[in-house]
Amino acid sequence: MTTPAPAEQAAPAFSDRLKGLRIQEYGLAAVVVLLFVAGSILKPETFPTLDNVRNMLTQASVVGVLAIGMTFVIATAGIDLSVGSIVAAAGVFGGILIGDGTSSLVFILGAIAFATFLGTVNATAVAYARIVPFIATLAMFSIARGLALLLNDKLPVSLLDLNGGSFGDPRPFSLLWFGNGRIFGIPVSVYVFVAITIAGWIVLNRTRYGRYVVAVGGNREAARIAGVPVRRIIFSVYVLSGLLAGVATVLLCARLGSASPVSGNLYELDAIGAVVIGGTSLAGGRATIVGTFLGVLTFALIFSLMTQLNLSTEVQQVTKGLIVLGAVLLQRSDSRY
Amino acid sequence: MKRVLEIRNLVKEFPGVKALQGVDLDVLEAEVHCLLGANGAGKSTLIKCVSGVLEPTSGEILFQGEPLPPGDPAGRLKRGIATIYQELDLVPDLSVAESVFLAHEPRRWPLLDLDKMYRESAALLARLGHESIPVRAKVGQLRPAAQQIVSIARALSGNVRLLIMDEPSAILDEGEIKTLFEVVRRLTAEGVGVIYISHRLDEIRRIGDRVTVLADGRTTGTGLPATTPTDQLVQLMVGRKVEQLYPERLVGTDRVLLEVRDARRLPAVRGVSLKVHAGEIVGLGGLVGSGRTELLRLVYGLDQPEAGEFLVEGKLLRSNRPGHAIRRGLGLAPEDRKSQALVLDWSETKNVTIADLNRFSRVLLDVRNERATAHEQLRSLNTVPDDPDRVVRLLSGGNQQKVVLARWLLHQCRVLLLDEPTRGVDIATKAEIYRIISDLAKSGLGVLVVSSELEELVGICTRILVMRDGEIVAELDGKDATEHELLRHAVAPSDAPELAEEVV
Repeated sequence: MTTPAPAEQAAPAFSDRLKGLRIQEYGLAAVVVLLFVAGSILKPETFPTLDNVRNMLTQASVVGVLAIGMTFVIATAGIDLSVGSIVAAAGVFGGILIGDGTSSLVFILGAIAFATFLGTVNATAVAYARIVPFIATLAMFSIARGLALLLNDKLPVSLLDLNGGSFGDPRPFSLLWFGNGRIFGIPVSVYVFVAITIAGWIVLNRTRYGRYVVAVGGNREAARIAGVPVRRIIFSVYVLSGLLAGVATVLLCARLGSASPVSGNLYELDAIGAVVIGGTSLAGGRATIVGTFLGVLTFALIFSLMTQLNLSTEVQQVTKGLIVLGAVLLQRSDSRY
Repeated sequence: MKRVLEIRNLVKEFPGVKALQGVDLDVLEAEVHCLLGANGAGKSTLIKCVSGVLEPTSGEILFQGEPLPPGDPAGRLKRGIATIYQELDLVPDLSVAESVFLAHEPRRWPLLDLDKMYRESAALLARLGHESIPVRAKVGQLRPAAQQIVSIARALSGNVRLLIMDEPSAILDEGEIKTLFEVVRRLTAEGVGVIYISHRLDEIRRIGDRVTVLADGRTTGTGLPATTPTDQLVQLMVGRKVEQLYPERLVGTDRVLLEVRDARRLPAVRGVSLKVHAGEIVGLGGLVGSGRTELLRLVYGLDQPEAGEFLVEGKLLRSNRPGHAIRRGLGLAPEDRKSQALVLDWSETKNVTIADLNRFSRVLLDVRNERATAHEQLRSLNTVPDDPDRVVRLLSGGNQQKVVLARWLLHQCRVLLLDEPTRGVDIATKAEIYRIISDLAKSGLGVLVVSSELEELVGICTRILVMRDGEIVAELDGKDATEHELLRHAVAPSDAPELAEEVV
């Protein structure tokens, strides 16, 4: 028997990190419930209604899908600032592909392919040109926004003419159906978001790939020495983030019935905010999909509530910032500084 | 002559380890007092107690006749105690003058008094005989030797009475060492007392006035004249008996598991060939910086070699592909466990299985099986605690090392590369780790172990290869080798011609 080293005695305060993570998830779940209760008390007529819940979830699903991709990127100690701009660029790109009688599939595949392509550019810049993620994706933030404006002379593209029928009763698997259709009363986009969340959880927690992603963020050198193909992993998360930005594009354009070059503005910050309040560490090595999901719901509830209370968007923005600060301060209690 | 520092019966205990068990030391004004000792003898702990980084468990430290308050490293420079560490703690992007006055910049409120900073740092450098170092240059652009002079100037800026130098010559070449010694002599001429730590025995005669030798946390000789014969010093450094620390020595087979042919990556590795057979433990000795770690990195594919071939069981390894090396049966336990081997926020399980996840992965990971398998490996190595969910950050150094070994055990590797496997590990766990290594070799693995602890190499190895300046300069049979002999081969003859003769 060896006696414990000094570190063991100095450290009981932040005892088990894994447990700590779970507690944070429970805490955030409690926040979500509390917010819902608060909304129901403050606005009993309009807040706890099926319509409002549907609305909230539909809106949350776009940023939610981005946030799942962002969780993977941040798990490797990276960041992707470009996803909001990619959403705009991919939408307009998909939009200019369509003509008379084209199917929704052309738009959907075109948007996703273009977003994935832009993500691959990020991936190459970060993993192979070794540009720091912040700078590489900041560049793409600007490039993709520029492309969105250039591709169709700064004009939005209407997607209403796609063979989807109407907003009210879109044909299944048409574009508008993804934004406005329902299955058993639940919006299709919510199914998409939840499915991607579940898939994200499984990949991150129950596959070799997910384990590698977190290893790279946790200790890159150690991961390399243990045989993890570090560069390929880093490459892959930016491609994944781009791909999911493509999915988010489809959900957004489907809801609005158009692809606007100014859409998706600052969505990356909402996504990063949701990931961070969920408990994923910006320093890498610690990632939670459940936390991200709850973070997205937290934001959605707060905005819905504030909108119903007639608070201006300016107030909402200030609140958003304060929430992120508060969440990070709370996390600090169990990490080293 | 007045005493600048007096240490009486100093004891420092860490849980489970007595790092210092009664150390005595006097340092006089205007003398260079050399501190000798093998790795782990307690030199660093002693220095840290004096510089206030550690608080001694008991004993006295008097500085200019007054007891030094424990702790308060920041206050030491004000009192006149400066420490220059081996890894230079300078900020590369600061100018020389800024570095000299870092954290006590002269100010003309509220602005920095740059003129004064440049003027005074130039004066300090001149005092050291190095007015040629440009005070406006960035520290990062200077050679290591010049950086060291800047560190010393920094110490002087606080009116130093006691200067502690921790292996200052380790990063310097012969010419630079001469320059350093001149600087040290200038300081002693001003009455400064110097504690000079070095592995190199020859330096003691060249610069030292008196010597104190540490072994296993005790002073085995204190205040000896610098003229003490080298033989006697070595005896004091290594002379002790540990019963059954080492397992039975292995003989090895003649089946070659790892072969390195003429590996090169300048400047660290200059053409190395070696073979490791099944069932043997091959030691790689030599001074820090002789190219041992770099050689292991080349073999394992972490760095791109300029030339050379690496074969595992007769098959060529692709260079610079750790993943490929692992699949061929190599495993590496690197020098710095925390920064190179472990994901500290991860559980023991995840750290054990990371190199071998395929075993548990169909489409999804079988996490239950993963945890059970890891648990079994951890238990077989007697890891404390063998809780597969425990975060490795909280483990002691020895148990972290066991987690790393469990990883390669699980992977069933053929050749294990170990870099300083017992660094920072207490003596009881050391014995366990030796037994584990020995058992692995007995089961047919080949083990290549880099160590700076001569005693350890002599204790466990079948054969010992000694590296110096990037080349293998000697091969010793483990059962006949002595620490003496190892040291003699490891020290460059150009550094110490007279030493080499004397020891023979």
